[in-house]
Amino acid sequence: MRIAALLVLCLLTGSPAAAEQKAAAWGINELMHSLAQVKESKATFIERKHLSLLKTPLEFSGTLAYTAPSYLEKITLRPKPESLVLDHDKLVIRTGAAQQRRTLTLQDYPAVWAFVESIRATLAGDLESLNRFYLVSLEGKPKQWLLLLRPRDPNMKSLVTEIRISGSAAQLNSIEIRETGGDYSVMQISKDDS
Amino acid sequence: MKRRAVALWLAFLALAILVASRVQIGADLSAFLPQSPTPAQELLTEQLRNGVVSRLILLGIEDGTPEAQALTSKRLAQQLRNDRSFAMVNNGEESALAKDSTFLLENRYLLSPAVTPEHFAANALHDALENSLQLLGSPAGVLLKRLIPRDPSGEMLALLDETAGENRPATQDGVWMSRDSKRALLLVQTSAPGFDIDAQEQAVARIRKHFAAATGSPELSGQRLLLSGPGVFAVEARNNIKNVALYFSLFTALLVSLLLWLVYRSGRVLALSLLPVASGALAGVAAVSLGYGVVYGVTLGFGITLIGEAVDYAIYFFTRLGRENSPDTALDTIWPTLRLGVLTTVCGFSPMFLAGFPGLAQLGLFSVTGIIVAVLVTRWVLPVLTPANFSTMPPALLSGWLMRLIGQASRLRLLVLVAMVAAIISMALHRGPLWSDTLSSLSPVPATDLQLDEALRRDLGAPDVRYLVIVRGQNRETALEHAEAVGAQLDRLIRNNPSDSASPLPCRERARERVEVQQLDCAPSSLFSRDTNQPPLTGYDTPARYLPSEKTQRARLAALPDAKTLRANLQQALAGLPFRDDLFEPFISDVAATRNRPPLTQADLRGTSLGLQVESLLVQRDSGWTALLPLRGVTDAGLIRQTLAQPADTGVVLLDLKQESDTLYQSYVREAVLLAAGGALAIVLLLFISLRSPRRVVLVLAPLAAAVIVTTAVVLASGQQLLLFHLVGLLLAVAVGSNYSLFFEREAFRRDHFVTCPGRAAFYREDDSSVRAECLAQPGISKHEGRDDARERTMVSLLVANLATIIGFGMLTFSGVPILTAIGSTVALGAFLSLLFSAVMMGNKVAA
Repeated sequence: MRIAALLVLCLLTGSPAAAEQKAAAWGINELMHSLAQVKESKATFIERKHLSLLKTPLEFSGTLAYTAPSYLEKITLRPKPESLVLDHDKLVIRTGAAQQRRTLTLQDYPAVWAFVESIRATLAGDLESLNRFYLVSLEGKPKQWLLLLRPRDPNMKSLVTEIRISGSAAQLNSIEIRETGGDYSVMQISKDDS
Repeated sequence: MKRRAVALWLAFLALAILVASRVQIGADLSAFLPQSPTPAQELLTEQLRNGVVSRLILLGIEDGTPEAQALTSKRLAQQLRNDRSFAMVNNGEESALAKDSTFLLENRYLLSPAVTPEHFAANALHDALENSLQLLGSPAGVLLKRLIPRDPSGEMLALLDETAGENRPATQDGVWMSRDSKRALLLVQTSAPGFDIDAQEQAVARIRKHFAAATGSPELSGQRLLLSGPGVFAVEARNNIKNVALYFSLFTALLVSLLLWLVYRSGRVLALSLLPVASGALAGVAAVSLGYGVVYGVTLGFGITLIGEAVDYAIYFFTRLGRENSPDTALDTIWPTLRLGVLTTVCGFSPMFLAGFPGLAQLGLFSVTGIIVAVLVTRWVLPVLTPANFSTMPPALLSGWLMRLIGQASRLRLLVLVAMVAAIISMALHRGPLWSDTLSSLSPVPATDLQLDEALRRDLGAPDVRYLVIVRGQNRETALEHAEAVGAQLDRLIRNNPSDSASPLPCRERARERVEVQQLDCAPSSLFSRDTNQPPLTGYDTPARYLPSEKTQRARLAALPDAKTLRANLQQALAGLPFRDDLFEPFISDVAATRNRPPLTQADLRGTSLGLQVESLLVQRDSGWTALLPLRGVTDAGLIRQTLAQPADTGVVLLDLKQESDTLYQSYVREAVLLAAGGALAIVLLLFISLRSPRRVVLVLAPLAAAVIVTTAVVLASGQQLLLFHLVGLLLAVAVGSNYSLFFEREAFRRDHFVTCPGRAAFYREDDSSVRAECLAQPGISKHEGRDDARERTMVSLLVANLATIIGFGMLTFSGVPILTAIGSTVALGAFLSLLFSAVMMGNKVAA
């Protein structure tokens, strides 16, 4: 169960969004405010994992969907189907051909919760939740920004050094997770216009 | 002769004190466990006294911020782990599980059920590696990437998954915390067994000490420690009953003394009145101690109730001391009636000796001994200790008022009749069970503590073990082998396919794909598929999980290939997969190392919490070894029992602890009702033999029967279920009340009367009222003169005795110990009604 719970890390992906915003006196509060305006979005993703155990990186692709304030789903289509659906504090994971299904309550798995909030709270513009799990800093301009999240929890810190979320305006472009020991993964997000 | 009585009494007291001072007080539930148990009851007893569950202590830390509570939890756990009083301490910290994880990892090839020769063939390894690759790609890869080079076949994950069914509490700040963050939670197992209350008391004290030390710093102050669990309850119950026995008996004695003072205005009467009580209580404790070796707290608490009853005898004695009665002769005239009252009481309680349930038998022995000694002291010791010219004068105002009241009591006859009818109707219409039917209703634990316990257990997901499979073997190895066989059966049940593993595609597999198919195809074809989504159980624990039998371990060792074969198979399996070359060298060397190892023994588990689990689930008895398999999430015990019974001769037992204990309790209730009926019958016989008149017997018994019926109806109407102790209370009420009705009956039909007139005393026959008329005809006669002084004194003594009884038992109602409350309220009400109904039925004759 614990292991399965970690599948949730898949949620470290983002979805695009768009909103009008102004450049004057721009900072973290303004970014969060404009992100909070997005009520719904869909996107496709390509994720690459670079692992020291492997000769070549692993590649996954699929779709993402977000509905404000707390629904998020990640459907992996290739190479093997898998889905993660987050709704409020419940996370449902379906893996494999056997359609195994598991439901987790976030409060029971603090590390999972932290991972999940990194993306959901960013999408929702919920700075309070981000601060609860991470030291948050922001670089760049409204057109091209980079959100840096460094874990507060010691357990989480021993696994992940940094989560880097880049975007332009109210849209997320990529999510990069840097693990301790040099492994890393990058997820590129493209807005689904359909 | 007189001196001899006193000397005998003093010698007896000395002996009783000697015996009573060495008494052992027990407070656990074992007071309520049978003396000659069935095998299932024996297991139940063993579990309640000594089992894993009996050793658990649940801790909650409240009233701090979550962060502060978490810090306290870590500090407290650290200290408790260094304390040998505790075999296991768990607060959810990961570091505490490190030893367990290491053990699992190092012994994974001996422990994993997946280890078979085919498991390491090239194609199986290829599948396993593909699985590992997917896991690496998944978020879990962050954790697993360190493990995969050592364990590409996923043994460790399989082992962790086996424990996954357990409910785990929520974690916050690295420790267990209730979901609302209000309290941090810890689970502790004591080294000492649950029935050793002294050891449990020490353990509780040590926890409190460690908690005080852990919260010593100012930023952690103000936090509160909550404790619960069987041992904690036993300790509290013992202290509670000790306190109740001490303070309530002191307080009751004080109130009764006050009453006696108000009536008699004499310190000497006070002091002497308490002698029969004290002697009786001492004798009772001594008798139980000699008879049973241990006195249950309940019995001791019962001692107070004796005050209410035994003090009556002294009251009868002192109230009769007047101008006409010297101490030597005071009891002579009423002695036959008093003796009959005592015999009635003894008859009522004697059947309790026969009870198969030691708690009840002790109560019987205690009461009978106490009452007999108290009355003997009253009869032969008190007169010697009372000065010859001593007399008491009940206030004339009181006796006049009382006689008038008694004379008019018969006006209430209609009311009593209505009350009786109403009581009988309300009992007949009573909804729900009359008798509380769980053993726990005998528990001396207050309801608030039980609620706390329930809350903590819910937060902790702590085992609330109800179903246990018991497996026996001649030695450890055979017990483990049998446990493995049962485990295999349970596994099939969990997969919902208990019939046989031979069926290649179980119903449920197909059902997953198409529900309709399952309903059409499977349901009729298999007995077990009627509820495919709900297996009869969700999981179980077994000692064989972390200590497999040697046979199984040897089979697994034999399944491990040598390094050369494994390397070749692995080479083949890696084809087409992106894993780095030589990545799996740790795997090859781990397998090779395991092949050279001897099987695990119980000693290898020492120091891990897994070892503790094995130890508690695998116990040695005189007759051999027993493995316990607690079941989780049982929804269909019948199916499990049926499945386990299939190989008929294995001696596997599915024990339902709740059902077993409830059955036990119900048998007690049946027995107690039977014995009480026997007691009632003995009383009736005794009265017939003594009174030799059916009419008199009916007159004596009618008020008692009415009192019992109305009291029972009131108890039920107040929303309580009848406990065993209500029955004991009713019995005691009859015992006390019989004195009242016997005295009333005696006074109502006494033929010879005694009249006092100024200057002379005279007897007269009832049908010859000339003496009385002559007396009353004298000039200047006061209202009080010319009346039957002895009769008035008897009536006053009944009133005072009744008040003393109501005080004594009424006080118990406030004790906060459920069973004592039950006894107290029943007796107080029952005794009062006995007196009232006696007056209503016979008062007009008495006060004529």
